Amino acid sequence: MRKILVIAGIVWMEMWRRKTLHVLGILLAATLLLLFSINISGLGRIPGYVKETGLLLTWLLGWIMGINIAVRQLPQEEKRGTVYAMLARPVGRGQLLLGKWLGAWLAATGAVLCFYALNVLIVGGFGGRFGAVALLQAVSLHGMLLAMITALAVALSVRLTQEAAAALSYIATAAMFAFVPRIPEFVAGAEGWRQTAMLILYTAMPHFELFDMRPRVVHLHGPIRWSTWALILLYGAMITTILLTAAWLAFRNRHFSRTAKD
Amino acid sequence: MNTAVDIRGLSVRFERGGSSVTALDRLDAVVPEGHVFGLLGPNGAGKTTLMHVLLGFLPPTAGQASIFGTDVRRAIARQRIGYLPEHPDTYRFLTARELLHTAGRLFGLRGRDLRSRSDALLERLDLTAAADRLAGTFSRGMLQRICLAQALINDPDLVILDEPTGGMDPFGRLRIREMIAELKARGKTVLLSSHELSEVELVCDTIAILYKGSVITAGSAAALVPAGESLERFFIRTIEAVDAGAADHAGKGAAHA
Repeated sequence: MRKILVIAGIVWMEMWRRKTLHVLGILLAATLLLLFSINISGLGRIPGYVKETGLLLTWLLGWIMGINIAVRQLPQEEKRGTVYAMLARPVGRGQLLLGKWLGAWLAATGAVLCFYALNVLIVGGFGGRFGAVALLQAVSLHGMLLAMITALAVALSVRLTQEAAAALSYIATAAMFAFVPRIPEFVAGAEGWRQTAMLILYTAMPHFELFDMRPRVVHLHGPIRWSTWALILLYGAMITTILLTAAWLAFRNRHFSRTAKD
Repeated sequence: MNTAVDIRGLSVRFERGGSSVTALDRLDAVVPEGHVFGLLGPNGAGKTTLMHVLLGFLPPTAGQASIFGTDVRRAIARQRIGYLPEHPDTYRFLTARELLHTAGRLFGLRGRDLRSRSDALLERLDLTAAADRLAGTFSRGMLQRICLAQALINDPDLVILDEPTGGMDPFGRLRIREMIAELKARGKTVLLSSHELSEVELVCDTIAILYKGSVITAGSAAALVPAGESLERFFIRTIEAVDAGAADHAGKGAAHA
């Protein structure tokens, strides 16, 4: 575990030194303050509107950060050649993979936590409020969602270039958000084997929509039941484990000698 | 004398462009502890491939290799190894000191031991003044030295150096030579690949010439090279002899140091 944490530490240091979080935090704060100052048709005075926009931005920034950080880890190691020095130490490939994923996940989750805190501060500063328990549940589910997204990005980056893995990660995750919740509509209109295929697809695809508590948080509808919350977290952990196992199977026999000239 | 590296019947074949390429062909070699072993060979001979197998980057197609008695496919085999790659690079967003601490922690070092080793290596490789500078601001020579320092942080018993002096100025080459001599004096084993034949002749106890994935001749420079001939001339003559179909004459076979 110590080696995995050391590798994750490298990811955090890279993110910190490259000032990724600083730039995105400033962007989020600037956007939220702008929303208050523009006050088009009086909308800026409604805390719900600002909360909704702030949380949407937090989700978008978390999504972009999660994929961007995760997808570059292994390809950059190979491109720089640092993968050789890393694996020349008593570090297993599984440990390297887990360290990279953990680093990317916790970096993205840490950034998202900062964004939530910024939201609370800005909305609170203008007289709005969040339900504490619902917000806690929303943040934890968002963190688990980022675990799945970063695991998918890491898994794709094992065999693809950084650019291809990033593009595919964005397409796949966007499709999971937009398409999977709508599959039941198609199931109702289909018959025979098509209906069966869609049902299988609906069951097999990760359900990202389960992790989205934004409407409840914005409209102060209160928390969900803790048993439901725990089941969703368990489901997220299961999907993450499946994705990381697939990544490890692809990574464990990966040949790094292709750059060897002699 | 104990064995540091034991290679038996090692073969590596790749699929490249739809055809099978034999990078290593039933290689046998034994490197005793405390020896400086030089691997010579033209580009594509299989030197880096052999090092990559020893470091567990690449699984052999056939045969086996062990380091201090442990199969190279096990991560623990690398606990006693230090490795400097051919084109070393590192995390440029970390300082020299952070790089050494990170490398050390991966070997299970911590606390005062790690700090004292890092400080000693920074001093030994003339990097103390740059200890808290980001590696991204380093010159090429400094990068090479910090990568070397990382390779030595665990005080390895086997040091694998792949073209360590490539692109170095004469001072850098001298520093590497002195370091190899110092490692040997401390009883460490060094496996060195280089195109700098004069350098290999100076520092190596045993030289093996690798060509087309096989060791075609091996021994001490004094035993291999006839009087009055340079190692460079001997190397070229040996390779030409193999190309001319005189592989048997050149002494294809095991490399027992």
